[in-house]
Amino acid sequence: MMFDSSIVTTIFAEFSPLAPMIVMIIGALVMPAVFFATKRKSAVAAVMIAVIAISMLFNVLMMVDGYQADYAGLFAYDAFAGVMILLFQIVAFFTALVSVSSSETTRMHYGAFNALLLAATTGMMFVATASDLITIFLGIELASITSYVLVAMKRSDPRAAEAAVKYVIFGGLSTALTLYGLSMLYGVAGTTNIEDIAIALSTQDFSWAFGIAMITMIAGFGFKIAAVPFHAWAPDVYEGAATPVTMFLGTGSKKVGFVALFKIFLVIFVAASSTAAFATEELQYIFAIIAAITMTVGNVVAISQNNIKRMLAYSSIAQAGYILIVMAVMSEYALASGMFHMFTHVFMKGGAFLIVGALITVGIGEKISDYQGLAKRAPFIAFAMTLFLFSLAGIPPLAGFTSKLFLFSSAIYDGGVMTQWVWLAFVAVLNSAISLYYYTRVVKAMYIEKGANAERIKIPKTFTAAIVTCVVFVIILGLFPQLIMDFCADAAAVLFG
Amino acid sequence: MIPIEVYLIFAAVLFAIGAYGVVVKNNTIVVLMCIELMLNAANINFIVFSAFTTDVLGQVFVIMSISVAAAEVAVGIAILLNAYKIKGTIEADGLASMRW
Repeated sequence: MMFDSSIVTTIFAEFSPLAPMIVMIIGALVMPAVFFATKRKSAVAAVMIAVIAISMLFNVLMMVDGYQADYAGLFAYDAFAGVMILLFQIVAFFTALVSVSSSETTRMHYGAFNALLLAATTGMMFVATASDLITIFLGIELASITSYVLVAMKRSDPRAAEAAVKYVIFGGLSTALTLYGLSMLYGVAGTTNIEDIAIALSTQDFSWAFGIAMITMIAGFGFKIAAVPFHAWAPDVYEGAATPVTMFLGTGSKKVGFVALFKIFLVIFVAASSTAAFATEELQYIFAIIAAITMTVGNVVAISQNNIKRMLAYSSIAQAGYILIVMAVMSEYALASGMFHMFTHVFMKGGAFLIVGALITVGIGEKISDYQGLAKRAPFIAFAMTLFLFSLAGIPPLAGFTSKLFLFSSAIYDGGVMTQWVWLAFVAVLNSAISLYYYTRVVKAMYIEKGANAERIKIPKTFTAAIVTCVVFVIILGLFPQLIMDFCADAAAVLFG
Repeated sequence: MIPIEVYLIFAAVLFAIGAYGVVVKNNTIVVLMCIELMLNAANINFIVFSAFTTDVLGQVFVIMSISVAAAEVAVGIAILLNAYKIKGTIEADGLASMRW
């Protein structure tokens, strides 16, 4: 047997498009049993990492081979699904790796914690492969409902309890808005298959029902991606949740909303824009305005934050604004660079949250003032944090610079012609400059200000491993972006094909 | 036969009542109930469109979304219970220690 996707098709036969998810679901089902049998966190973590690694192996084999298949008209595995599944698996891998030694994650219910983590990741992967409104909705809900529990699992912490309540209520509101939009879209198009919807819409004029569908869906998905003005829940939830879970939400859960936006809106727009009856200009402007407001509010409010988790949460909101440029520009290159930015965001924002989690585990607080003198106490951690923050701000030659360069340039030139979105690129560059201010505050606290305590810090090994991986990728993706950008370009070509 | 607009307006009114409740109510359990109203408004839309186009997928969607809503409420109530144990209140005003 050759070492390619034929392994997957031999084992899973007609279920091959769902192979990575099937592995994850089996893992989620056995995880509590493993915990009750061994009662050891390390055993559960080992099985967990093995499950994610197998799933990742299958996905990489299918992705590199260019495997394409469809399951029952509900799911379709293609280059786009492969890239996004890989992203979700990387996030789940980091979360599983660090949650075993984090002091914030539950001890009593560690099996359930991991089962929920796998279930949430499966939901995200379902969204990436979905080709039908029903499966997109179910995938989003599987990811959301398990995330509510993951946030609430930091029991006995009043902030986590409050964060979970806010998350459930805003999440439920988002679900209701999205479902209403989907129902209107179904009414307008008469089908739930995304490609059929695009075909049906390209033959009809703009109707008020379609307008309602668009508005409610933008609001519903806006809550999921924490775009301003639907962002109020994000800082509270990110602050209240255990830091590994925060990382999972900030880098993984948020991307689900984007995947659904890309799947539903881009496909519709691309199919519909071929006919003169359908004007997308207005909706592009709506997205452009939301993007500009989101990045500005995220960056400006982040300046006044003293809690580093909240600061990173607002910076996450700003990053969502950058990615929303894709929805305004709507070109194939913009989508590819947006997906590339999602990848670099996983490593840089994920890495920053990992460091926060590691420092909380060794007893350092969440305030920026707690980071004073960190460069003396833990030189590598301070250096890694500096790299991640500078990458988020977009300092060359780090990954964040490269992905922002691609993303912003897609808003300026499209096929050699200046687009009308130059102002959006200008706002984004201006925002990057603002963001450098509050990132530098943390670096200043670590390197220049003197701390009260000069004791050396030793952080757990799993955290070190995850942080080193993130550092390596932040540097490599900055210098050799084509490693992932090529896959992103293929993926974007699928959606625009 | 009743025209389709009547059903759609009924669903839209139900949705608006739910949205109003989410915004103004202070008791989080009532807020969860209002979210249920909004979800049911969407379900009615699906059923109506399905009945008027004789396409069954809309009804399949409703069965799925009802089970999703049930799961969401179960999780929501459990989280509210946990919050009540820890903070002693489930009023939205009492759950506002984190701001800005």
